Amino acid sequence: MNDHRREPRPGLDRRELLKSSAGAAALTAATLPWLGRRAFAQADFDWRQFEGEHIEVLHTKNPRADLLQQHEPEFMELTGIDVGSEQVPEQQQRQKQVIEFTSGATSFDVTDVSWHVQKRLFGKGKWLEDLRPYLDDPKLTPADYDFDDFSQAGITYATQADGRIDTLPAFIDYWIVYWNKELFDAKNLPYPSNYDELIEAARTLHDPANGVYGWVSRGLKNANTPVWTSLLLGWDMDSVNEQGELQTTTEEAIRAAEIYTELNAKYAPPGVAGFNWYECQSNFMQGNVAMWFDGIGFAPPLEDPTKSRVVGKVGYGVMPPGPRAQHAGMFGTGLGVSAFSEKKGPAYFYALWATDKENQARLLANGAGSPARESAYQNEEVLANLTVPRDWVDALIASGKIGRPGLPVIIPVTEFRDIFGVALTNMIGGADPKTELEKATEQFRPILEKSERA
Amino acid sequence: MTPSLRSAFGHSPGLGLRVLARKLGFALAVFAIVSPAILVFLWMLSLSLKNEIENTSYPPVLIPTEWAWRNYVAVFEQNPFLLYTWNSIVVSGTSTLVALLLGVPAGYGLAKARASGIAVLILISRMTPGLSYLIPLFILFRLIGLTGTLYPLIIIHLVITLPIVVWIMMSFYESLPRELEEAALTDGASLWQAFYKVALPLSRPGITVAAILSFIFSWNNFIFGVVLAGRETRTLPVAVYNALSFEQVSWGPLAAAALIVTLPVLILTIFVQREIVGGLSAGAVKGG
Amino acid sequence: MATTTSAAPAAFAAAGRSHAYARRGRYLLFSLPALLAIFAVIVFPWAFTVYMSTQEWGIVGDTAFVGAANYLHLLSDARFLESIWHTFYFTFLAVVLPLILGIAAALVFHREFPARGLLRAVFIMPMMATPVAIALVWTMMFHPQLGVLNYLLSLVGIPPQLWVFSAHTVIPSLVLVEVWHWTPLVMLIVLGGLASLPTEPYESAVIDGASQWQMFRHITLPLVLPFIMVALVIRTIDALKTFDTIFVITQGGPGTASETINIYLYLQAFSFYNMGHASAVVVVFFAIIVALSLLLLWVRQRTLWTLKT
Repeated sequence: MNDHRREPRPGLDRRELLKSSAGAAALTAATLPWLGRRAFAQADFDWRQFEGEHIEVLHTKNPRADLLQQHEPEFMELTGIDVGSEQVPEQQQRQKQVIEFTSGATSFDVTDVSWHVQKRLFGKGKWLEDLRPYLDDPKLTPADYDFDDFSQAGITYATQADGRIDTLPAFIDYWIVYWNKELFDAKNLPYPSNYDELIEAARTLHDPANGVYGWVSRGLKNANTPVWTSLLLGWDMDSVNEQGELQTTTEEAIRAAEIYTELNAKYAPPGVAGFNWYECQSNFMQGNVAMWFDGIGFAPPLEDPTKSRVVGKVGYGVMPPGPRAQHAGMFGTGLGVSAFSEKKGPAYFYALWATDKENQARLLANGAGSPARESAYQNEEVLANLTVPRDWVDALIASGKIGRPGLPVIIPVTEFRDIFGVALTNMIGGADPKTELEKATEQFRPILEKSERA
Repeated sequence: MTPSLRSAFGHSPGLGLRVLARKLGFALAVFAIVSPAILVFLWMLSLSLKNEIENTSYPPVLIPTEWAWRNYVAVFEQNPFLLYTWNSIVVSGTSTLVALLLGVPAGYGLAKARASGIAVLILISRMTPGLSYLIPLFILFRLIGLTGTLYPLIIIHLVITLPIVVWIMMSFYESLPRELEEAALTDGASLWQAFYKVALPLSRPGITVAAILSFIFSWNNFIFGVVLAGRETRTLPVAVYNALSFEQVSWGPLAAAALIVTLPVLILTIFVQREIVGGLSAGAVKGG
Repeated sequence: MATTTSAAPAAFAAAGRSHAYARRGRYLLFSLPALLAIFAVIVFPWAFTVYMSTQEWGIVGDTAFVGAANYLHLLSDARFLESIWHTFYFTFLAVVLPLILGIAAALVFHREFPARGLLRAVFIMPMMATPVAIALVWTMMFHPQLGVLNYLLSLVGIPPQLWVFSAHTVIPSLVLVEVWHWTPLVMLIVLGGLASLPTEPYESAVIDGASQWQMFRHITLPLVLPFIMVALVIRTIDALKTFDTIFVITQGGPGTASETINIYLYLQAFSFYNMGHASAVVVVFFAIIVALSLLLLWVRQRTLWTLKT
């Protein structure tokens, strides 16, 4: 889990992207590139071996699930498998999964798994089928699925500590800084190149008398924790180290919390302590916030003229280097097959289809998220027909090279987020970062120890 | 209308400014009482008909410059709203019906026996935190094999509907004159016959209120559906909450969904408000 | 309270006490099916909850008996104790304000005026509206920079408020939503009481030259008090258990500023999966609700008794 950063992700360089355009040109030759390729693949692989079966799919509600659902008829046509799929908002979806898994039967056969929250828990319960035998079986996995095409980060994230691969990488989310070019230009400021400049820019641009705020990021407890842990990565430090020890009262952690506090308490809109991405986004889209730090998936609404007043004015900034390192907080999702499913074969097919090259390329083309496959970034046809600015893809590719898990890979992630989230909210309200972190650490340590013992 | 008009606009024209001022004050009081409701529903309507850009603009825009009917289209596109509506009708309708079948005689019996202690017992189910039902019942329904059907929801909604029906009917029967039943009893009718043939036909106002209120409270329940409903068995309030999507601010469709869910009960309210007020005034919730 | 003069025929009056007692028992049979249904639904959850509250439940492992440890843990759980305080604070405001406003509204709607039916329907609409849907709309209205509430305040020269986005104002703001929702219920119950009032006391009071306030204070209020008590009991139970509104609007935030027992319970059960701990919370929470309800029901009986004598 801790070694993605050692692997530079090959093939994500823009120059290489351009070089590979020859291969992509062959793709564009087909009038129906998406379907064309899959039909070809069908020739030497029996996609219809589970014809007539019915599976249930439980998605988290987001634009990526929208895309998959929209194209599900293709899957049904390809395999003859009938799909009932639904999207449930993240919070309820996670509950539903856990309640059903613990009750020993699931109403769904395939579901997506937020690695940054659920990986260890699901792995410990062995709630998801180990997919290695499926991947190794040429009767179940077509050759052109090309598992090695997944980025190293994606494969590492999808692999449990004991070597089981219980999800197929679906998408990886990096945190970036959305910045309002108009506001920056007005003060002749460049995009910050380190933490100090970031704070300085927020200070310079902050002009509440005129309704302009220098910064916004999540202040609502739980949702806000990744903001702080992502900042901490700039000291080359995770919130929990490889030995499973909490790093949350280190000098670095305190400094990161102080930056979090300064940015949100001094330069953010009033009320930020209760803001989730929803409120942050609303404010940023009004054009009155200079910088917003959050996940990379928000480009489509920001560039939609029916929703946003900052269309064409958004800069997509890679997280600037911290005092010791430059890292983008990384979060990710995989697709897994329920261990309790009675239709594991067809369910696996769905997971294969949903994470294949075509569907991954679609993610990028629609700006719905960052694919876990490298081929997606080399697909020149996709890059030529982006519905989002090219800058966004550049930020994505650059972030990919410096991605590092933004949340600790532990079982009680939700409690971690909650307890430290409360501490961070308190800091916005004026509490001392050091004291709050010490209090939170003291509160969380026994929970972490218990979860590792059990 | 005429008598009320007269009472509002003065008994005789000559009473002068003081009466006028008092009327004006009263009109203002009425306005103050009603305006919060109007404000919220109006704003909901406005949100549902605007683009996101206007929904998030400041100062707020009340009347859309461009009517965003597609918010409503989006709601129906993203969700099988008709199915969910049907589920809600089945769940709330059936659980209200069952509650009436069990609760009307129960209310009668409790009123006649003056057993308010037992009536409190019925309230226990209302006092139990709703969340505590979820996991045990989920496990139970899984064991019985009822998951994926509407039965679990209908059964759990009895926890909402039954206490309402029992309490309203109990209060209703407490206030109902008992001469007629007593006469029937002296004529040799059994207790059940006295209830069924004499008291029940007189109970329409009480039953109407009980049915309406229990239906509406069941319709509005959110938490039971979250865990106990699946893809095919979801009810409307859950569907509205599901309109929240990560990474997309969608206040327009959200407000549209909220309005679609609320509209049936609001329309119902306009039609039945007289019954509700009448039924409650006829002696509901009387203590003794 | 209801029909005090029993017009029971002489035959029954002569039948004696034991007969009436037997009849009471047979009347109770009427409520048996309803009681059985209620218990059928709640008995398993209850047994399960009480059992779980004595267990340490590993989400992916075995459960182990820990006796009263979960309960003892609650005593030292600062966040739980804080949530009790939030619950009482919220409940107090969410009961008292709707009661006062509901009584006032009932007095208004008790009078005749043009379009009363329609306006009354509009007024009771909030209690009919789906709380989740409404809570989402309020969330939008509360937004400190873009919300319509601050805009309305700015029209009358009041500076923008932070509403649910500040720890200081979050509970009163949530109460505002509750007041909006549930004042109509109180109004309806009290209106029912006003409709059943006799007219004689007022007539004699007018003759005695009593003022409006005196009539309200000395005639109306005592007579509708039983109805107000019913509203008080119902409102208290519901306010203690409020979930949808808080969950949708703040999820207990900012920080833990609006974390009530119910929200804390939700967090423990459905976010942290601490089933043993959460079950202990349920038992304590239930005890609090029952104790408060019984207290209020007792007060209700007392006031009724005082009124009768």
